[in-house]
Amino acid sequence: MRNRAAVFALTGPGLVFLGFSLLAPIALLVASSFRSGDAWTVAPYVSTLSKSVFRIAALRTLRVGLIVTAATAFLSYPTAYYVSKLPARRRAVLMSLALFPLMTTAVVRTFGWFVILSRQGILNRVLEAIGWVDRPVQFLYTEGAIVLGLTHLFFPLMLLSLISAMENIPPDVEEAARSLGARPLRAFARVVFPLSADGLVVGGTLVFTGCITAYTTPAILGGTRVLTLATLLQQRAMTLLDWETATVVAVVLLALATVVNLALRRLRVRGVS
Amino acid sequence: MRRSRALIALMLLVYTFILSPFVVIFIVSFGPNLVFPPTSLTLNWYVRAVSMRMFREAFVTSLEIGLLAIMIALFFGVPAAYALIRFPFRGRETVEFAFTAPIVVPALVIGFALLRYYIQLGRLPVFPGLLIAHTVILVPYAVRVTAASLRNFDFLTEEAAISLGAPPWKAFFRIVLPNVRTGVLAAFILGFTLSFNMVPISLFLTGPGYTTLPIQMLSYMEYYFNPLVAALSVLMILFTVIITQVAESALGLSRHI
Repeated sequence: MRNRAAVFALTGPGLVFLGFSLLAPIALLVASSFRSGDAWTVAPYVSTLSKSVFRIAALRTLRVGLIVTAATAFLSYPTAYYVSKLPARRRAVLMSLALFPLMTTAVVRTFGWFVILSRQGILNRVLEAIGWVDRPVQFLYTEGAIVLGLTHLFFPLMLLSLISAMENIPPDVEEAARSLGARPLRAFARVVFPLSADGLVVGGTLVFTGCITAYTTPAILGGTRVLTLATLLQQRAMTLLDWETATVVAVVLLALATVVNLALRRLRVRGVS
Repeated sequence: MRRSRALIALMLLVYTFILSPFVVIFIVSFGPNLVFPPTSLTLNWYVRAVSMRMFREAFVTSLEIGLLAIMIALFFGVPAAYALIRFPFRGRETVEFAFTAPIVVPALVIGFALLRYYIQLGRLPVFPGLLIAHTVILVPYAVRVTAASLRNFDFLTEEAAISLGAPPWKAFFRIVLPNVRTGVLAAFILGFTLSFNMVPISLFLTGPGYTTLPIQMLSYMEYYFNPLVAALSVLMILFTVIITQVAESALGLSRHI
């Protein structure tokens, strides 16, 4: 059939490229994580798991991912609700203000927080001025700083997912609930929230996988001591040249991202993006 | 509609949160040091940012990589998007999955695997390694944005051209491509911006003489604590905003993304 030949010619080159530059190196990575010397073994995993630095980083990564996902959802729901009800012009302004950070690199955005949180930074100066603290607080290089930075980084993704979900809710539905006597909060909880749950799932997956694989923000705000899996991977590979542990950490990151994404495919009811 | 005050107050807080790092960066970039608010104003950091060779070279590398990567990604992605939209074929979903797979794989892991097996073991030079990595990341965007634009195209026009005797490739280049030109341009701008701003994909793939701008800023920050990075940040934001705004006003690209 002619279509078959056409499809082959049109998608073939791209598939070959992806096979060579994505599938092959990833397959090599996974395979070599089970190699030690000339034998197949799980020894690299056992030795990585036995390192407390790995366990701490892995737990921190998951914890930070969950907290940031919850925080962005908490901030995005009222914002998305408010913005989606505005008249078109003001809506466009608020949308572009909220989405403009997406066009900037994580280095820039995290550097802003670095300046705010540093020992002589604005936050410490304000706290000292109002007398809440008498000497500068160490905000940098803490898990809290990473959570703050990542919440800022991923907020627009969650907002975007929720707004596109709320746009699909006919306004009459909420009006109906209200005119039947539901209070605004109850109408929101019983009508708007369930109807936008799909956006929450999509946004949550984007934010959570983004968090667990993010490098720049934990590197700048967590430093070399408060490590996540991503910064641990970088440190093991580039500073310590410990390729075995680095390979295992890379496979763990890959597995986490894949599992969460596959779960999304099952959870998703209808397309949003 | 009655809006509650609590909601408006919360909005103010949220928007303060979103914008404060940018305001801070903008202000300290004109200060003598990173103390806020600045005690005096200077353009010194901008002069230094533009005149330092390491940043100029990194900027050029970022430009080269971004432009080449999105062109190659479109070279693979546009035909694939066309096939996916135009022909209902067996295994279509699998092919579609393959072309979007790079989104699922963490960029850091792609970079690490390319470093280990192609650069260290396969002796591939750094620059092609970096280019391959950026291209892989951009392929899904090239496919998706082009496909979205092809979905609005009426393929009857193409069939008409073919039934009037045009060979299929000619019909594609003369009829289909001009009609989805804006979509392809949107993918180009989006892809370039992504590549230009992205860190993790390049982290493991830089070498002497080949460092992208965000990576160079990151390594500078490890050693120096001064507003130079703030000045560079402002310049980078301006660069990206100008590109996207020009594209938006000239072509109305946001409808395609």
